[in-house]
Amino acid sequence: MSAPETQTRGQRLFGWLDQRYDLSPVVEFIEHKEVPVGGHPMVWYYLGGTTLFFFLVQIASGVLLLMYYQAGEATSYESIRYITTKVPFGWLVRSVHCWSAHLMILSLMFHMLSTMMLKAYRKPRELTWVTGFLLFAVALGFGFSGYLLPWNELAFFATSVGTDSMKAVPVVGQWLLEVLRGGPDVTINTLYRFFALHVVVLPITAIALLGVHLLFIQRQGMAPAMAHQKESRPGIRFFPDFMLRDVLLWLVCLILLSGLVFLLPYGPGIPGVEWELGKKANPLAPAYPGIKPEWYFLWIYQLLKEFPAHLFGLEGPQAAVGVVGVLMAAWALVPFLDRRAAREQPSPMFTDLGVGALLFIAYLTLKAWDIGGLAKGETGLPDPRATSWACAWIVLAIGVVVTAFRAVVQKHRWFILSGAAIVQAVLNGLLGMDYLLAGAIVVVLAAVAIAVILRRPAPAAAGGTT
Amino acid sequence: MSSLVFALVLSPVLAADPAETGAPAAQAAPAAAPAAQGALPPQVEELFKEKGKDGQPILTDSDRAAVTKLPSHILATVAKKIDAGTLGGANHLHILLSLDLSPQTAELVFSDNCVLCHSDPEAQGKSRLFSPDPKASGSPAHLNLKSMLSDAHFRHGLMCSGCHGGSPDDEVMGGAIKERWPAKDERQKDRGWVVGFCGKCHGDPSFMRGFNPSLPTDQVAKYKESQHGILLLQKHDSKAAQCVSCHGVHGIQGPKNRLSNVHPQQIPFTCGKCHADSQYMAGYTREDGSPLPTNQLELYQTSVHGKALLEKGDLGAPACNDCHGNHAAMPPQVASIAQVCRTCHAQNGILFDGSKHKKAYEAHKWPECGQCHGEHGIQKTSDLMISDSADGLCGNCHAKFAGNNTQCNQVARYFRGSIMELADGDAHLGGDIEHLAERGLDIEKLGAAKGELDEALVQARSRIHAFDQGEFDVAAKPGREALAKANTLVADAHSEYGFRRNGVLASIGIMGFLAVMLAFKVRELNARRKK
Amino acid sequence: MAEPSASIATTRRGFLDWLIGVGALGWLGSVLYPVLRYLKPLSAQGSSGPVQLTKDEMAKVEKDKFTIVRSADARIIVFEAAGTLKALSAKCTHEGCTVQYSAGESVIWCACHNGHFDLDGRVVSGPPPRPLPKYVVSRDETGAVLVSPEKA
Repeated sequence: MSAPETQTRGQRLFGWLDQRYDLSPVVEFIEHKEVPVGGHPMVWYYLGGTTLFFFLVQIASGVLLLMYYQAGEATSYESIRYITTKVPFGWLVRSVHCWSAHLMILSLMFHMLSTMMLKAYRKPRELTWVTGFLLFAVALGFGFSGYLLPWNELAFFATSVGTDSMKAVPVVGQWLLEVLRGGPDVTINTLYRFFALHVVVLPITAIALLGVHLLFIQRQGMAPAMAHQKESRPGIRFFPDFMLRDVLLWLVCLILLSGLVFLLPYGPGIPGVEWELGKKANPLAPAYPGIKPEWYFLWIYQLLKEFPAHLFGLEGPQAAVGVVGVLMAAWALVPFLDRRAAREQPSPMFTDLGVGALLFIAYLTLKAWDIGGLAKGETGLPDPRATSWACAWIVLAIGVVVTAFRAVVQKHRWFILSGAAIVQAVLNGLLGMDYLLAGAIVVVLAAVAIAVILRRPAPAAAGGTT
Repeated sequence: MSSLVFALVLSPVLAADPAETGAPAAQAAPAAAPAAQGALPPQVEELFKEKGKDGQPILTDSDRAAVTKLPSHILATVAKKIDAGTLGGANHLHILLSLDLSPQTAELVFSDNCVLCHSDPEAQGKSRLFSPDPKASGSPAHLNLKSMLSDAHFRHGLMCSGCHGGSPDDEVMGGAIKERWPAKDERQKDRGWVVGFCGKCHGDPSFMRGFNPSLPTDQVAKYKESQHGILLLQKHDSKAAQCVSCHGVHGIQGPKNRLSNVHPQQIPFTCGKCHADSQYMAGYTREDGSPLPTNQLELYQTSVHGKALLEKGDLGAPACNDCHGNHAAMPPQVASIAQVCRTCHAQNGILFDGSKHKKAYEAHKWPECGQCHGEHGIQKTSDLMISDSADGLCGNCHAKFAGNNTQCNQVARYFRGSIMELADGDAHLGGDIEHLAERGLDIEKLGAAKGELDEALVQARSRIHAFDQGEFDVAAKPGREALAKANTLVADAHSEYGFRRNGVLASIGIMGFLAVMLAFKVRELNARRKK
Repeated sequence: MAEPSASIATTRRGFLDWLIGVGALGWLGSVLYPVLRYLKPLSAQGSSGPVQLTKDEMAKVEKDKFTIVRSADARIIVFEAAGTLKALSAKCTHEGCTVQYSAGESVIWCACHNGHFDLDGRVVSGPPPRPLPKYVVSRDETGAVLVSPEKA
């Protein structure tokens, strides 16, 4: 410590605190904290931070909105109208809140994808993945509950449709539906409950989970590349090097957000990503055609549509919810299923799972958007056959490109699961087969293929660099 | 009602002979209510056995179901008529059942011999046969059994015998009919008798009170003074319209019924049956000797009133009778047509009364409204009608009859200019509002201002009828003020947008600057690390 | 060529840090300005015309001899004294509590700190430092009581 006269103000303040709280372990920790960026493009390491940034923006803009928002039959819609028209910069705060919500979820998905691809979930970081998965669920809950709060037509119908699927949960479905809705139908009581969820319950849960998630990361450090991928690049210091880059990226995100808020105040005009206030909710009005839930729910919404009314003795929606539940559970348990990555060995099967999941969700989402369903200038209802056809081509194209990249650049040999997703899309869209039948066929084929390969002795089956 | 239930419940016991429902029933498959199968009178059952030329039973399952549904007292009547021969055979019964009659109408039908005989194709020649589809059976169009049974008179209990004489229990055409109903050549020669015939009831208030107290009873009196009445009753011209020409004979419905010839949406075509037929109307002339035009229907169909009534279904729009009258129909006099227009377009009428044009038009004996707007082919008004150019609506007359008065033309120009200014402003405003809303700006006050402008435009266009600048300005001035206010609000919104844009750019500029500085810092740190 | 001397490098670094500091402050300002303007509440606009007493309020004047009405942001006490209606600001000039009318003592009284005003709003006793502003109250042709929104 230099002599008191030559100390800077910052150093004097630090000294005062250090005398009282012994900050040396903290200083030690920060000075030696490293981000292990050898082996992977550094950009992947920032995505958690950007998600956190957008979450912080949500908290700030949410608190500001809370100053004027009033939940109530006669006040929800009106108070938001007041905010966007009368309150100075109210339009800004609301638009920021809406845009940042979508950007947060987008960033979260990229973050999840990158940890999936880079196997950051492997031992010893399994619980980081699990808490992350729970945070993902909480984020979707935020989106769903917040959507209803303006109490406009769009939100009302989207919520009716969305909560309706609760019925399909076995045993507690009806009870869950009524508890969520505050009654058998969506009414202002639903809004009161969603408001409580959105402003108290979910924030507390999110902060708790986030705290644990970050605690794990601080304790264990960020995941390094696997042994076979490591380059001889050393890691960089977290403070100040990585943090500076992080702040820079956050600033760039903020610039992006500002531009979007100004140029597209009501969203990019894609169905499921728009928040023009529109008309106040009228429970007696018929739902208008083309109503869609928010984009991150579109794949579930489309999957529900693919199921027939009854399947193997279950009701269609129940079976669909079952399938979604199984897929989600599998996704949450990936760290425990991926034995090879736990042993620090290349695990192309799980990379393949990630790609397959992406293609699977992409196909359903594109279909839900009725891409290709209407010819240019045509009006009316989109043709589902034409939609399936167009979306299948798109998925096939993406699938081929990704597979080629993996095969040529990354030298993978595992394409069973991503191939299954592509083949299902082709069977359903290009050959007109029923979606579920196509799914059953590819699942059986994939299971057989996996069983055959796993039985085969020798490491010849493994290959590639991930 | 309870006796009916009682009867139906006990009908299996009351039925004559259950054995009748034997073999033939196997071909006509079991009926809907097997419990009641034994309920049909034997005569009816016999008919169910009758087969047609193709070897199949004439009466179908639905016929059986219909008959089974009939209350027992009607079935008893049916049986009696079969016995009497008035109800001819299976074919006759099939035709009657196919009409899907309510029990009340069925009761009337099956107890009225006139209806029964005249609906039996095996008992009547084509010229006297009532059938559900006269065209198909080759009968005259007015012998439509379906419309007859829903006819207003029929439903009120005035059946065949009420007009034609005789009685429903008569089994043959007797002298009573000849007494009441004129012979054919008499009927066709001079149609004037129709007026007295219908008027005997419809012109008697105390008689009509027993059926429909609110129905007017002055039709005959009015008719006598109408052009049709004068032609028919005084000049004995049977081509002129009388009661039957418009109301029909056997399928008469009140004007509120959509199927009626005198329903507002049907009236143009009812009148047009004669008045649009140039051959029929040949020889008829106006007061001044010129031939009566026959293009009114055509013009009307293209007009605002015609489109409103016939295409949009707006029953408030006038049909022929609203301007011409119906029973007292006379071409409206030039002097009075404006009064007729006024019944709906009151405001414009009041304004016109106070205007210069009123005296001028009276002097020229011009129809007030019709002079500019026409009568049968009135089109939606357009602002372009206001024109002081030599061939424009205003300018043309001003040149010929007002000595091209400069003040008159100036007023016309002023009207045109003001209206166009407001209308153009309004159109631009609509686009501006949409544009601003997309950009997230508050358009509530703007919407209100545009509403005021729209209202002022409507008023201003109406106030033209006063043909006076001062009167016109009563509406135009608030319109201009509303437009100015709206434009100010648009300018405000644009400047708010500019403020936002500048703010965002400034903020992005600061952030960009900070980002660049941070990037330099990163570079500098890197360089330091390397050392 | 030659390495910049340590002092120039330090000053360059210092300058960069200074620029970053300025930039950060600028950024903070560009965020705080909209937030602070957002947080400042708008004055209640309401109708700019006179406030008409409702039936309930009229009944209250009948019964208790006074009532409190709201006009935009202001509270106004309307009371009946010697047969005439009067109106004063109901916001006590001491700490802002709502005053009341005591018909028996012909005085406007503030319960918070026992301030007294006369019927024209002048301070009679207690801590209030300034008189209560007056408002104009009138009856129109239908018998409705109107209170002007501006102080008299």
